[in-house]
Amino acid sequence: MYGWIWRHLPGNAWVKALLSLVLVVAVVYVLFQYVFPWAEPLLPFNDVTVDNQ
Amino acid sequence: MRLVVRTVSELCITVGTVIVLFVVYVLFWTGVKADRVMDDQIDQLEEQWARQSARPTASPAPGASASAPPKPTPYRHGKPFAIMYIPRLGFTWNKPVLEGTDTGTLKKGLGHYERTARLGQKGNFSVAGHRRTYGDPFKDFPRLRPGDAVVLTDGTTWFTYRVDRGPYKTVPSDIEVIDPVPRKSGYKRTGRYLTLTTCDPEWGHSHRLIVWAHLDSTQPVEAGKPAALRR
Repeated sequence: MYGWIWRHLPGNAWVKALLSLVLVVAVVYVLFQYVFPWAEPLLPFNDVTVDNQ
Repeated sequence: MRLVVRTVSELCITVGTVIVLFVVYVLFWTGVKADRVMDDQIDQLEEQWARQSARPTASPAPGASASAPPKPTPYRHGKPFAIMYIPRLGFTWNKPVLEGTDTGTLKKGLGHYERTARLGQKGNFSVAGHRRTYGDPFKDFPRLRPGDAVVLTDGTTWFTYRVDRGPYKTVPSDIEVIDPVPRKSGYKRTGRYLTLTTCDPEWGHSHRLIVWAHLDSTQPVEAGKPAALRR
């Protein structure tokens, strides 16, 4: 999977490394900004009320 | 065959990394976000109060403030209306109290149960807060003891509540604990009460911890901080 991505990135090794870094940062950003805030309420830490609102 | 094994192991590593990142998010990042948002809410409140006190018409006649407040404005859902101080949880511990107890509101501060009494009024002013994650506001909740002060201000008055009944463990469906006169608290007559709720165990959701308090004293903000907040 990662080998496939590496082969399909353009440029020489340096450009590829830079692009990979950008991709990693983008993935982490999407996770923190959108995926985790969505997933977090599914965990039990939010249940602090007695009437289950 | 080799390709399959390699892809599967890469996927496993990816999933593992995502899980680690998620733990970092829950343990650390929600706290960073919540601290920022809570400070924001408190700033908003203080600005709002500063504007109100600047207006000369807002000041009621002396002596009339305690018994007949001039038409209280209803709390707006999801908006802060008070700041809570609990010296037992730390001398610098202060959190905004917002109207409503839905998930989004509780991310920004403590949540006031809608339909329970207003701050300082007859009935049961009930507030919920996170035990863990989102700044861990009620992390040290079990350390609360009878006699501890819970101080709130709405910008015009300081309200000092005193804890009467230490952390009481109950089940999540026990709505009675936020009744105007909660049966298990030992209170018999109607009064000006305060109820705090959070989850128990720390990282779980099987139970709730409850603390009850009664209104001990009030004083206008012009009179300075109440004794409970002075060092």
